[in-house]
Amino acid sequence: MPAKIALAGLGHEYVNPFTRERVLALDGLGLEVADGEFLTVVGPSGCGKTTLLNILAGLIVPTRGAVLVDGRPVTGPGRDRGVVFQEFAILPWRTVERNIAHGLEIQGVPRAERAAVVRRFVELIGLTGFEKKYPHELSGGMRQRVAVARTLAANPEVMLMDEPFASVDAQTRITLQEELNAIAQATRKTILFVTHNVEEAVFLGDRCCVLSRRPGRVKALVPVDIPRARRTWTLFTSDPAFSATKDRVLRLVREEVGGEEAER
Amino acid sequence: MTLRWEVVATWLALLAAATAAWGVAAATLPLPDYYLPPPTAVLATLGDLIAKGILPTYVAESLRRILQAAVLGLAVGVPAGLLLGMSRRAAEFFYPLLNFFQSVSGIAWLPLMLVWFGFGERTILIAVNYTVLFPVIFNALLGVRSVPRLYVDALRTLGASRWRIARDVLVPGALPSIVTGMRLGLAYGWRALIAAEMLVGAHGLGFMIFNAQNFHLTARIMLGMGIIGVLWVVLDYFLLRPLEEATIARWGIVQR
Repeated sequence: MPAKIALAGLGHEYVNPFTRERVLALDGLGLEVADGEFLTVVGPSGCGKTTLLNILAGLIVPTRGAVLVDGRPVTGPGRDRGVVFQEFAILPWRTVERNIAHGLEIQGVPRAERAAVVRRFVELIGLTGFEKKYPHELSGGMRQRVAVARTLAANPEVMLMDEPFASVDAQTRITLQEELNAIAQATRKTILFVTHNVEEAVFLGDRCCVLSRRPGRVKALVPVDIPRARRTWTLFTSDPAFSATKDRVLRLVREEVGGEEAER
Repeated sequence: MTLRWEVVATWLALLAAATAAWGVAAATLPLPDYYLPPPTAVLATLGDLIAKGILPTYVAESLRRILQAAVLGLAVGVPAGLLLGMSRRAAEFFYPLLNFFQSVSGIAWLPLMLVWFGFGERTILIAVNYTVLFPVIFNALLGVRSVPRLYVDALRTLGASRWRIARDVLVPGALPSIVTGMRLGLAYGWRALIAAEMLVGAHGLGFMIFNAQNFHLTARIMLGMGIIGVLWVVLDYFLLRPLEEATIARWGIVQR
């Protein structure tokens, strides 16, 4: 089966518009993601994780390399690839239901059908009763759920998630991770999830991709051989396979962070 | 912000105290009557000018001119600013120009406009419209430029067209700035209007107070000044504030 996402020789260089300084964010990155796979990407801060995700989203055009989704080169953003951003990217002037329905509205889905989809997702993310609220009336965790629901409701084939739970409190994060896990199991979507949290990466991923320090390339791909149905935090933390995988990924990430410090 | 009765009561008490002090000063200070007329004289002038129909006519004239400028600001200034703001290049090019013209108020243009357009209604309208328009365009442009890039990117990944992004993200995102621009533009415009009416002398409140000076009608000047201030407060409270309440305050963009 051909890969859903295929990256080869991917490189990206930023030029600081003020200092003219060039920063190589990614260099020679190659990666394949299978259809229906949940791939998590970890790496030291500044290793180009977000750049990688934005390239896949079509928001950044890479300096070098090939980006293929379903065998076709990515030329810009498209509704086949939904993105959940790190910060709250839902619109403050739209209510919860209108934010969730936004993708469908853009696709020209009729009102009645939209309402049915919205109802289903509002229920899925546990925000029943909050449909008419504006984002500023919600907690951070609730807002991020709306963002996830907006992307899911648009029904993309690929979900790109950029540290979506980084800015919510620890308790909410655990709930959201478990919810996402259930959603991944139910929808079998291809998901690429960027995070700097190793536990989160191992908890969510079918495979965990460790990036090297800048310029980012794939350092290792670590499979997580734990069935999705068994992935709840209580079961997970007591599972020896989990701790072994987590330690392995942590060690790989540490090597990169340590290397960076030794260089200084 | 809704007015609390304690605040209103305090204002009324302060106003009463100030009026009383003014009355005492006018009665006791050794000054000619026209220098500092008592509050009662101003009140009498109010009754007199209403009865003669002068005040209603002049107020209506001034209001008509500023409202006409408000309509132009909304119909032309806002769309122009939005369009310019949607292109980064256009925004970069026009920003300094708009900033320049926003600072050279219609009042500064008046001497030139009097030469070009003469002592008449035309000069007044051009000066007021000009003064209103630039802050409105400038702030609408700034509003579009200040919409978080993230919102635009999020909509692009949902497959939105440029037109859709403009309608769903840029215009609502620019609204707080548009409201600010309208408020500033009309506040500047109101001052420019009074100044233009003074110099051109074709009816209006500005003409009323400037002309009164020729005849030492100090009570009339003071009355006119008071009305200019009161009218602005009323316009702002009943026209511009409700607009803000209905939109951006509800979205939680403006914290009150």
